[in-house]
Amino acid sequence: MKKAMSLVLAFALVLSLAACGGSSSAPAASSGAASTASSTAGAQPVAGVCWYNFGDTFIANARQTLNDAAAADGTVKVIDADSQNDVATQTSNMNNFYTQGVDYMVLNNINNNAITELIQQAKDKGVTLIFANSNSPTDEEFALYDNVYHVSSMAPQSGTIIGEALAKYWQEHPEADRNGDGKLNYVMLLGIQGHYDTTVRSEYSVKALNDAGIETEAVQEAICNYQRADAQNQMASILQARKDDVEAVIACNDDMALGAIEALKAAGFFADDASYIPVVGVDATKVGVEAIKDGTMLCTALNNPVILGNSVYNLTKLLSEGKELTQENLGMDGVTVEGHHIYINYVGITKDNTDDAAY
Amino acid sequence: MTTKKKFDPKQFIINNAIYLILVALVIIITVISPRFFSLDVARDILMQSAVRIVVAMGCMFIIVSGSADLSGGRMVGLTALVSASLAQQAAASLKFWPGLPELPAFVPVLVAMLVGVVLGGFNGWVVAKLKVPAFLATLGSQMIIFGFSSLYFNMEPNRSQPLGSLTQSFRDIGSASLFGVPYIVMIALVVMLIVWVLQTKTCLGKEIFAVGGNLEAARVSGINVFKIQMITYSLAGALYGLAGSMEAARTASATSAYGNAYELDAIASCIVGGCSIAGGVGTVGGVFAGVVIFNVISYGLTFIGISPYWQNVVKGLIIIGAVALDVRKYSAKK
Repeated sequence: MKKAMSLVLAFALVLSLAACGGSSSAPAASSGAASTASSTAGAQPVAGVCWYNFGDTFIANARQTLNDAAAADGTVKVIDADSQNDVATQTSNMNNFYTQGVDYMVLNNINNNAITELIQQAKDKGVTLIFANSNSPTDEEFALYDNVYHVSSMAPQSGTIIGEALAKYWQEHPEADRNGDGKLNYVMLLGIQGHYDTTVRSEYSVKALNDAGIETEAVQEAICNYQRADAQNQMASILQARKDDVEAVIACNDDMALGAIEALKAAGFFADDASYIPVVGVDATKVGVEAIKDGTMLCTALNNPVILGNSVYNLTKLLSEGKELTQENLGMDGVTVEGHHIYINYVGITKDNTDDAAY
Repeated sequence: MTTKKKFDPKQFIINNAIYLILVALVIIITVISPRFFSLDVARDILMQSAVRIVVAMGCMFIIVSGSADLSGGRMVGLTALVSASLAQQAAASLKFWPGLPELPAFVPVLVAMLVGVVLGGFNGWVVAKLKVPAFLATLGSQMIIFGFSSLYFNMEPNRSQPLGSLTQSFRDIGSASLFGVPYIVMIALVVMLIVWVLQTKTCLGKEIFAVGGNLEAARVSGINVFKIQMITYSLAGALYGLAGSMEAARTASATSAYGNAYELDAIASCIVGGCSIAGGVGTVGGVFAGVVIFNVISYGLTFIGISPYWQNVVKGLIIIGAVALDVRKYSAKK
């Protein structure tokens, strides 16, 4: 018994190595069960939706919107399942939906190396495949099957928006160059290593600054796994080491921006106008928008989950009525239709338009 | 076993490896960046360690009793959510419980601890009564607790939005100081003192060691093993609840992702701090050093600007090194 326990604990210890690196998800239970959102019977077309993670704030809102839209409209029935951020679970959920005979497969895909196979599978089953809030298939992949669609935001936009807001602040406030070296010295708070959003947000925010003619220098890049506590801890350390060099903080989401703001406050920033330091984030969470109203966070970029949920529903409805996807047929604000793509526009939120963040 | 105490440098290094590693780390980082050796840095590191210390103390109870607990991190997450939801300002724009008046700061903390006790008691009951192996029992409860966290977090009108607008008095627990000592550090020190007294000065403490050392022998000698296991899990739960509210106060927020994998960090800290995986061995001082070492690494490596990927390499090496030494320590004694 003891020996077994030691083995088990040794195993836990091995896991902890991975955990030190902040692996983002706990061991997830495989759940093939799909929940039924609307249960109207009949020859109603059915859309099976695989969300990557129900616990994600953004997904929770998009999911609620989609399910509410389906319940209110009733043209298309929506059933959904949680992939729990696990490729294997996503696969079993999809198989479950195919077995149930869905007409539309809405996939918040996390299996990004298998887009071709996913399209081939949908083609074999004769089911319309809609990639939602995930990487786009390439043009060659689109060519494999007519009934493939893609609904997502343009991730680079989020980086560009916060970079431009920071550039504007920098140009209007010469005193923001605290060490007087003519360069904008920033701390970059990254989410998860290699995560698409992290990559493009960090890249395009800095690119927007450089495009505005601002010389930049990274004081430090820190991986904070999108977590507030991690950002707060690492920022405290960076400030102890190089407080005078830090002139701005770029965070790949609001939670990390807010964690950085807590550490900045503890280090004496945000006490008055003279100790203001620009911090930008992405997501426009409620607490993020509160911070903008309070005058701490400078800017955030909103990817509206309500528009995502409604776009997905309207797309399935439109297709079930035999119509083609065009900007006019979709009839929605805040999105751009290009071929089989629906692009959801990011909106920059600053203290001038905090009302736009209410959805 | 030798009775003569002769100074043996090799044995000294083996017995005090954890403290020597800690000192060595601080020296190395200070040589690279002299500003590291300052009171401000020490205070930062202690503040960042405080929550982990409380979690690790709870975990130590369970490891010493010869059991295991994988649900601690998620319990921290759930109790952080519960305490934050009860600590919001009356006029918060997105209120978790609309209409809830502003509560004194101790109320959310107590409720969080109570939730911890109940969940810990559940763990204890499953392990001691249903005889489910602790590793599996707490793996299951980890999932149950995370499920409840997600449900709670997604309740109307909150819908999975990070909680904010916490009262100043509650936030002070995590950020204010008295005579330069942060409250959050004082709480961790008091917890350590209480755990030390409980472990070394009371009957209960000795019974926990006895159960961990040899469960059958403890049973035969008349110790109520069921009671001891219920108590250790409930105590650990109370500490996880306290840690959850400390984490919410320190970060002035909470989400369902809080506390993720803290239990594994806590287990690693306990083992590096000299707790025996087999149970029956563990000290407050060692576990404290174990927690602080990991925080010195993450704080120190960020401080000197080393790539975060290296932090994992260093942490992993230290875990392996510490356990390798630990094995020698006990094989030498036996």
